Amino acid sequence: MFNPRDIIELIAHNVKKSRNPFGVPRMILNRWWWRTPLEKKGDSILFTGLMYQSLPIIAKTTDQLAAFEDSPRARYIRLARYMPGALAGLGAALLTGRKERRQSDQILKNIATLLQKSGVRFAYRPDLDHYSGILLYDLGDQETFVEHARYVAGQLKHAGIRRLITVDPHTTYALRELYPKVTGHRFEVRAYFELLNATGGNGQRKVALHDPCFYGRYLELSDIPNRLLNGFNIECVPVKNSANFTHCCGGPAESISPKLSHAVVMRRFKELQATGAPIVAMCPICLGNLKKVGADVEDLSMILARCA
Amino acid sequence: MAVTPEFFEQLERFGVAKTFECFNCGTCAAICPLVYEHFPRKLIRYAQLGALDRILENPKELWRCLHCGLCTQTCPREANPGELILGLRRFVVDRWRRSQHV
Repeated sequence: MFNPRDIIELIAHNVKKSRNPFGVPRMILNRWWWRTPLEKKGDSILFTGLMYQSLPIIAKTTDQLAAFEDSPRARYIRLARYMPGALAGLGAALLTGRKERRQSDQILKNIATLLQKSGVRFAYRPDLDHYSGILLYDLGDQETFVEHARYVAGQLKHAGIRRLITVDPHTTYALRELYPKVTGHRFEVRAYFELLNATGGNGQRKVALHDPCFYGRYLELSDIPNRLLNGFNIECVPVKNSANFTHCCGGPAESISPKLSHAVVMRRFKELQATGAPIVAMCPICLGNLKKVGADVEDLSMILARCA
Repeated sequence: MAVTPEFFEQLERFGVAKTFECFNCGTCAAICPLVYEHFPRKLIRYAQLGALDRILENPKELWRCLHCGLCTQTCPREANPGELILGLRRFVVDRWRRSQHV
């Protein structure tokens, strides 16, 4: 286990400098929308929170962390904050594979296409698409979280944004539940799958749907993806510990203790594996953590895009 | 063991409204995916007693919590154990930062 203080100060430093937890410049991190025809004007926007884009970086950095957890070198993590942001960004770009980046970007392209097919009017404003700060909140750095949330909410209000369409449970929870409390700004926040109305297709298969904690328990939204998949003739097989009682994927511990994170995800993986069906995740953290242990898992948007 | 009975008042500043709701039944420790040394029940007990030394002697323990919410979901007293752990984290982070400036 790393010293939480070192990790928290590193993440807080990065968020203050670059507005994301890795210190990666935005133009390197957020490129999925390049060459994708999307409306640029409107008060209803797709807000990715940069979580899916961060997935390849999360995978690489947690691999690095795992390599020297509990070793004497672990204490040098505190020095990482003295690395210039541009250098860290370049490092992250070199460390992550093109294939992984393309897979993450494809998830977001799929979501945009699914919304368009469902007749949802939305714009995409990369200049307003910020990380929500949820990791700061989870780690207990309330001071930096509030400062960052006020910055993000202020930008959105200033631009006249009314509705935010989110793509992951952490960002959805932050914007829907936490931002009104800490920023005083309230937006209509909808998870993308709440707006989809496509049915039909010919799924004809069974999947094990893994509910993330924030959708299953905190926001109680897990019945909607379930219904959507059923609409495509895809059966969601019963999974031990689901919906309100879903089992954590271990992701929240990966920055402090990759070992602990691994132990927790293995327990969840066994529950999902016991169904015998391929796994569907709907959170970038769950997706990444399940992939790490060799699970046959794909994102909800991938399966929906194939059917719609 | 030194105790600070008014510790709950300090925790209120960090968003903890229900320090004393917990009656230590241990449901949270039983449901917690960590299955680790009576976590979070033991730390909640320390918070109730104001046993600051016990909390601060190994604050890393607080960051084992996954903030998954299972304890809060199942707590029979609706004492919100997950939020109490989060409040303790905020308290410790604040203390670390303030100690830097001394």
